Amino acid sequence: MASDIPLNWFLYFAAASFSIGLVGVLVRRNAIAVLMAIEIMLNAANVNLVAFWRYYGNPPPGAGPLPGVILALFVITVAAAEVAVGIGMILLCYRRWHAADVDRYDSMSG
Amino acid sequence: MVQFLFLVIAALGLLTALGTVLARNLVHAALFLVAFFFTVACQFVLLEAEFLAALQVLVYIGAVAIILMFGIMLTRNIQGDDTTIVAAAWKIPALVAGLCVFGILVFGINNAVAPAGHSPWSELNVRPSIAADAGSSKATAVRREAVNNMARTVGNELMTRYVVGFEVAGLLLTVALVGAIALAHREEAEPAAPSRGEQPARLTSASPQPQAAGPSLVSSGASSPR
Repeated sequence: MASDIPLNWFLYFAAASFSIGLVGVLVRRNAIAVLMAIEIMLNAANVNLVAFWRYYGNPPPGAGPLPGVILALFVITVAAAEVAVGIGMILLCYRRWHAADVDRYDSMSG
Repeated sequence: MVQFLFLVIAALGLLTALGTVLARNLVHAALFLVAFFFTVACQFVLLEAEFLAALQVLVYIGAVAIILMFGIMLTRNIQGDDTTIVAAAWKIPALVAGLCVFGILVFGINNAVAPAGHSPWSELNVRPSIAADAGSSKATAVRREAVNNMARTVGNELMTRYVVGFEVAGLLLTVALVGAIALAHREEAEPAAPSRGEQPARLTSASPQPQAAGPSLVSSGASSPR
C-alpha cells in the first residue's frame, strides 16, 4: 500500500476534531450533547495514538508490536464505561430536576 | 489516491463533528455522531489498524451511540426547544477557546522537536511497512497475513504484556455496570423491573434482566411531566 499520507494530516484532523469537541462541551447546555462532544474529543485522541503508533517505526524493546493500538483499546473501554455511568447520572438528574440542562443543576450554587 | 481518500474522509469527519456540535435536534446530533464514529473507523483503516476499526464500529456505533439514543429518548429533549439551543452568552468565549486550542495544537505540530533518531512530525510522510518484506512481490500476502493476525496479536498482548491493564479495565467495566444499574434503579418503582441495564458491549452476557427494561422505560417516560 502506497503509504504517502503525511503524519501531519492525521494530527491536523485530530486537532480540529478535538477543538470542535471542546467548543461543543463549552457551548451546549444539554447534558447528553455535552457527553457527545466528550466522545468526539476521545476519538480525536485515539486517532492521534494510532497515527503515532503507525508512523513511529519499530516500537522500542519491551513495548510489544502494538502499543498504540492497545492504548487506544483501553481508551475505548474507559469511554464506554464513562458513557454508561454518565447516562445513568443524567437520567437521575432528569428525574430530580425535570431537565437535562447542565445549567439547571444549580443546587449547590451560592 | 490515498491522499485524496484521506482528504474526503477527513472533510466528512469534520463536517459531521460540526453537525454534532451545532445540531439543534438531539437525535440529528446523535446521528451525526454515528457518522463521525464511522469516519474515525475509516481513519483507522487508513492507518492500517483494521482490528481497531472493527472495534470502533462495534463499541462506539453499536453500544455508545445506542446508549446515547436511549438517554435522549428518556429525557425527552428530542425537539429543539429552548433548552438545547446554544447559550448566546457562551458562544463567543467558547469559540475563542476552541480556536486558541486549535492554534496551539497546530503550532505544536508544526514546530515539534523530534526525538533522537527520528525526523520531526512535519516531515514524517513515509510509513514503515507492517509487512516484513514490503518490496517483494509477495508483500500482499504478508500484508493479508498481518491483517488476519492482528486480533490474535492484540489478544496475546492483552493476556501477557498488558494483563494488569486488562484486569483493571475489566474491573472498571464491572464497576461501571453495577454503578449504572444502581444509579438508574428506582426504589419506589415496581420491584420486578430494575430500571436499565446499560452496559458496555463486552459485558452483554452479564446483563441481569434485559427483558425487564421495556416497562420501566415506559413508566419513567410517562411519570415525569415536562
